[in-house]
Amino acid sequence: MAFQLIINVLLAVLWMFMNADMSVGSFITGYLIGLLAVYLLRNFLPGRFYVKRLYLIIKLVFIFIIELVKANIDVVKIVISPKIDIHPGFYAYPNDLEEDWEVALLSSLITLTPGTVVVAISDDYSVIYIHGLDMDDADEEIATIKSAFENVIKEVAKP
Amino acid sequence: MIGFLNIIVIICIIVFALSMLGMVYRVIKGPTLHDRVITLDAFGVTLMGMMSLVSIVLDTTYLLSVIMLIGMIGFIGTVGFAKFLEKGVIIENDRDNNS
Amino acid sequence: MIEIIIVSIATLLLIGGAFFTAIAAIGVIRLPDTYTRLHAASKSSTLGVGMTLLGVFTYFAYFHAEIDSQLLLAIIFLFVSSPVGAHMIARSAFHSDVEPYKLTILNELKRDETGSEIETEESVRLKIERSKDKELDD
Repeated sequence: MAFQLIINVLLAVLWMFMNADMSVGSFITGYLIGLLAVYLLRNFLPGRFYVKRLYLIIKLVFIFIIELVKANIDVVKIVISPKIDIHPGFYAYPNDLEEDWEVALLSSLITLTPGTVVVAISDDYSVIYIHGLDMDDADEEIATIKSAFENVIKEVAKP
Repeated sequence: MIGFLNIIVIICIIVFALSMLGMVYRVIKGPTLHDRVITLDAFGVTLMGMMSLVSIVLDTTYLLSVIMLIGMIGFIGTVGFAKFLEKGVIIENDRDNNS
Repeated sequence: MIEIIIVSIATLLLIGGAFFTAIAAIGVIRLPDTYTRLHAASKSSTLGVGMTLLGVFTYFAYFHAEIDSQLLLAIIFLFVSSPVGAHMIARSAFHSDVEPYKLTILNELKRDETGSEIETEESVRLKIERSKDKELDD
């Protein structure tokens, strides 16, 4: 991804020099034409076409903000109700991500949605232990986290 | 329009102040030390929000630079406390283990 | 016309921020256990103050024509740093043997670390109740 970005910026600078016009509009025109050139030559450069990865990262940020607001409303319902009747619990969540930074990103996302806090990670980074605020059964919580977060992170991390 | 917004800002400042009073109750009462550290972290974050509202009332933008610094200091205090409660030292050297 | 839109957006953001901060304070007072108080204090307060800072940003951008990007940096820093702090406190509380709430259902972490059993008394009681309900349905 970095290599394609450097080539794109170099083509934009080349366009600016050829037209002898050092303004922001000329840079943007050169950037768009460089984007077209990188798209046509994407099979010969290493990695996937980088616009798709940027789009997936933006989609991850939006998914995350919507999950945050939805789950905060659950915490509001628990805190306001006149009698608190919750059953918290610790459960283990086995994941199958490969790199270290993906596990760190997944832990941060799990901790920031209300209702779950990551308490410990096993030594080979494969099992994540989570404390849930109000749960009945461990399997449905695991399925929720898997479908919402882990698939999107795997899509972002594919080279 | 601006008069209406000033009334809303004053109501929000009152709500923030009452939240801070509620958190002080938990700082005094909390049975373990971890309760107090959690509540002081939330207290610092609430202080950041209150400072931005005060900067609307005082009609200046100089206070907005301080907000980020208070957030950083609060975060470092929380992390240092948590490390100390778990291990007994904040930064470990290898000399401690070998001697 | 556009002034009415901007004032209503800023009002909604400020009132939402104050509401979530009040929920964080009420949660810290009412909830019964250290781990559950950690949920309320670190997450609801982050969202509440984030919304408040966004409201202040739109106010200053329209009425005083100053785009103050330090507020946006403060929001991004808050979203990155508060889950790290919450996780470290939870881990240190677990390794210092702070008692979880007595109605806790599972404790797989304790099983994996010390080899003790996973079924607590409350989960056994719930299982007995649920099997009685199933017998009544049949």
